[in-house]
Amino acid sequence: MTAYREVRVRTPLILKILPVVSIAAFFCLWEFVVRSGIVPETMLAAPSTVAELFLVKLRETDPDGALLQQHAWVSIQEAFTGYFLSLAVGIPLGLAMGWFVVAEGLARPVFEIIRPIPPVAWIPLTIFWFGIGLPGKIFIIWLGGLVPCVINAYVGVKMTNPTLIQMARTYGASDWQIFRQLCVPSSLPMVFGALQIALACCWTNLVAAELLAADMGLGFMITMGRRLAMPEMVVLGMVMVGLTGAVIGIVIDRVEKKLLAGIRR
Amino acid sequence: MSSNIANETTCAFSDRRPWTVGRVLKSRPFLYAVSLCCFFFGWDYLARTLGTEGSSSLARPAQVWTALQDLYVNELAEHKLLGHVWASTQRVLIGFSIAAVLAVPMGLFMALNRYVNAIVKPLFDLLKPMPPISWISISILWFGIDETSKVFIIVIGTFVPCLLNAYNGVRLVEPELYDVIRMLGGNRCDEILHVCFPASFPAIFAGLQISLSSAWTCVLAAELVSARSGLGYIIVQGMNLSDPAMVMGGMAVIALVAWGTTLIVTALEGYLCPWKRKIAGL
Repeated sequence: MTAYREVRVRTPLILKILPVVSIAAFFCLWEFVVRSGIVPETMLAAPSTVAELFLVKLRETDPDGALLQQHAWVSIQEAFTGYFLSLAVGIPLGLAMGWFVVAEGLARPVFEIIRPIPPVAWIPLTIFWFGIGLPGKIFIIWLGGLVPCVINAYVGVKMTNPTLIQMARTYGASDWQIFRQLCVPSSLPMVFGALQIALACCWTNLVAAELLAADMGLGFMITMGRRLAMPEMVVLGMVMVGLTGAVIGIVIDRVEKKLLAGIRR
Repeated sequence: MSSNIANETTCAFSDRRPWTVGRVLKSRPFLYAVSLCCFFFGWDYLARTLGTEGSSSLARPAQVWTALQDLYVNELAEHKLLGHVWASTQRVLIGFSIAAVLAVPMGLFMALNRYVNAIVKPLFDLLKPMPPISWISISILWFGIDETSKVFIIVIGTFVPCLLNAYNGVRLVEPELYDVIRMLGGNRCDEILHVCFPASFPAIFAGLQISLSSAWTCVLAAELVSARSGLGYIIVQGMNLSDPAMVMGGMAVIALVAWGTTLIVTALEGYLCPWKRKIAGL
């Protein structure tokens, strides 16, 4: 962007105030709608009730049998095991598929068969195979994270500048050298993109896996909230899932910015 | 990608060397065939060896095919196979259309007007990190277990990618394009009509593709939790009857239908915005 002069733009005051106002208005409206009885309390809990339950759940195991932090910890464990397994399998596979014809020829058809099946659809089969324990859930999460990893690593390698590849060939680089020293580094931004996308997928699938078969975890807490007709627990579970996911996303974003400082614009 | 010309020359280049055994072994169609054969025979072998103890947990491909034919002819909960497919597709289409009609204009509007952005963005950031599937419970509390709750889940799941991509599509338009239209004497209206919309079209379509696959995930999750029709229901019935052939048949149909809808959107994209640059591969 050297063609542009750096211009300092002062954001008007109203643009700074509006976001705060809009969030405040959202919560006030929510609280008001529930308190005034427009929406019955059996359907939606007021934010204050949710906050109250949050404080209570940190200390008490009733009525779903575990503390809030235990639920969250179980979920994080499952999500991260599945996430790292999918990274460990998906990224090398995608990179290899992008460069080596044999790898692509062998892996692509099977991948194309599996790709359109939503990971959620695997849940019944997983229950047949693994029961409702930890391995089953990790399998679902792994499947969910795998697809974006493979696709992004593949596209990252395919988008390597062909001029550079031709140049490397001219200088007599071997296939393996080109792959290692040219394709892999140039695909890094896409691969890091995959880290974010795969995490979001893993997190979604975690909730799905826990909704159907679990005895602990945030998704299980949401299900229990529905079964016990406690909307405050459902909302608390949703907020916790969203919050944890957002925090992990921010951490990954930071790491990415540090590692790829020179590559991305 | 500043290397478009190089890309084209690579594509136009064709190999005229004679076919040798080594080349045949490394050619794509041959490898694809090998891979598919390995997949199906490996599956069949696994199913046979695992399934000897009576209670098999994996169905053989032939059994899946028979189960599908059976579903096609006989009724399951008042619907034949095509009826279930249509039930799911209908939900996806309704939810997807509602979300697309609401989210795309809103995303464009957010990107074009910073006051709208200042109001909507924080709310959106608040709701964005919640996985759509976590809304299932609350939607059942709100709407019961009929169609509305399923459509609601799909709308929630498809809204986010549609809106985000429309928003980013406009924001990431190259500033040089605006400069060109201003040089030619265009006003704000020309900028929006001739630069923003066409330039953000590929991104919007990418968003539609993503949200379509998200919609299939959502509809399945919703049907797994509670439904009396649809592809998710077939899978759940298969699970309850511990009939892996039915489950896998359901999964195969889902893969087929989801793939078909993706193809339709891709075709639509090629028709509506031919100026999109193609990236080789997926």
